[in-house]
Amino acid sequence: MKLYDVKLLTITCEILAQKNVIDILKNHNITGYTTYEVEGNGAKGLRGQGFKNEKNVKVEVIMREEKLSDVVEDVSRTLFPDFAIILYVSDVGVVRTEKF
Amino acid sequence: MDILHLIQSNLLTPIILFFLFGIIAARIKSDLKIPEAISEFLPIYLLAAIGLHGGIEMRNTGFAEMLIPMLVAIGLSLLFTLNHYQILRRLGKFNIFDSYALASTYGAVGAVTFSVGLSFLKNQGVTSEGYLAAILAVLEPVAFIMAIFLTNMAVSKQIRTKKQSFTNNEKSDIDIGMKETKTKLSQVLKESITGKAIVILLGSIVIGYIIGEEGFEPISIVFDELFTGAIVIFMIEMGIIAGQRLEDIKKVGVFLTSFAIIMPTFNGIIGVLVSTLLGLSLGGAVMFGLLLASASFIAAPAVLRHAIPQANPSLYITSALGITFPYNIIVLLPIMFTVSTLVHGEGTIDLFNYVSKVFI
Repeated sequence: MKLYDVKLLTITCEILAQKNVIDILKNHNITGYTTYEVEGNGAKGLRGQGFKNEKNVKVEVIMREEKLSDVVEDVSRTLFPDFAIILYVSDVGVVRTEKF
Repeated sequence: MDILHLIQSNLLTPIILFFLFGIIAARIKSDLKIPEAISEFLPIYLLAAIGLHGGIEMRNTGFAEMLIPMLVAIGLSLLFTLNHYQILRRLGKFNIFDSYALASTYGAVGAVTFSVGLSFLKNQGVTSEGYLAAILAVLEPVAFIMAIFLTNMAVSKQIRTKKQSFTNNEKSDIDIGMKETKTKLSQVLKESITGKAIVILLGSIVIGYIIGEEGFEPISIVFDELFTGAIVIFMIEMGIIAGQRLEDIKKVGVFLTSFAIIMPTFNGIIGVLVSTLLGLSLGGAVMFGLLLASASFIAAPAVLRHAIPQANPSLYITSALGITFPYNIIVLLPIMFTVSTLVHGEGTIDLFNYVSKVFI
């Protein structure tokens, strides 16, 4: 089976930044994503205890390489200064490239 | 009754004891935890119970008499928010964002604190006006909206003065600033009005108003008799969260710690006195004072993280939850109750005389 190369963007951030991330994706015409609630430790301390508002969330988005740098730049510019957030990109293969 | 004696007997109520127990459980690193679904459900339940009671009573009293207390509460809340800002910015030397975020956290109301206040009054055998639930709903977004408005104005002014040194094209910058403010404000307004706290509170007030005493009868076992018990369970969770944050209190600093104690005391006592002048009952004045004294720690982060993301959330959450909340429910409630008893008992406000008697 032929696999096509696309990019997987993973963003782990505070749950209250989730809306901002998804808005940015929407601005770049990306509507598909997966989120799940996570816990963890980092520069902003142990997160995920207590109120739901203090949980972390992991957003995974698959996109073509052309869009990637714009999205990453938008996220870095608007969210890096104020939120607990980690972002990384990996190479993945998909079967149906027309979906992305 | 003597204030100290009242504080002491308040300390030994199940609500406070379970709160302190939660703190201890967190300190000894126990894995005790209230399941997430329950701790999310309890605030909704508490607000529904508060709303139902408020609605039923408003049916008896009508809307007319709540108008003036509500407007006064809004006015005081705005005034206090501005006052907090000036104190934090000038004396505390906090930056604009932290100052506004903290100012509005302390200008806003705490629904959990309100519930504890109701059950404190129940314990003392005193009732309060039902329309205070409606004031709780209205006050919730007020302080945030003003703080967000002022923050955005301050930011766009800064941008404007910065840009003015390059160009003279000032009009467009003002427009951009105004436009951004408007979108942010309408978003916040919409989010807080459709937010779960206000929706369940207003919905229950309306339903309570419709069903009245008779309709309430069959559900009173859940919404009346279980009320204090439910708060007790929630207090374990609150204690655990507060206990986990105890270390952060050191980071909050001496200034903010004293702010988190002095401001609620000042606001609360002003609230008690003003509402007494407006003709509220003994218990009503305590609840009115508590509305103005309480700080928001569940709604605040959700609103402020979006509206003023530059502000440091651990400052406003830790001070509101770790310092002000315990102080309010353990110490300030009995103080306000005593003040209210005093001004209601004498028929005249003879506070000065009383204060000098107690402290000298």
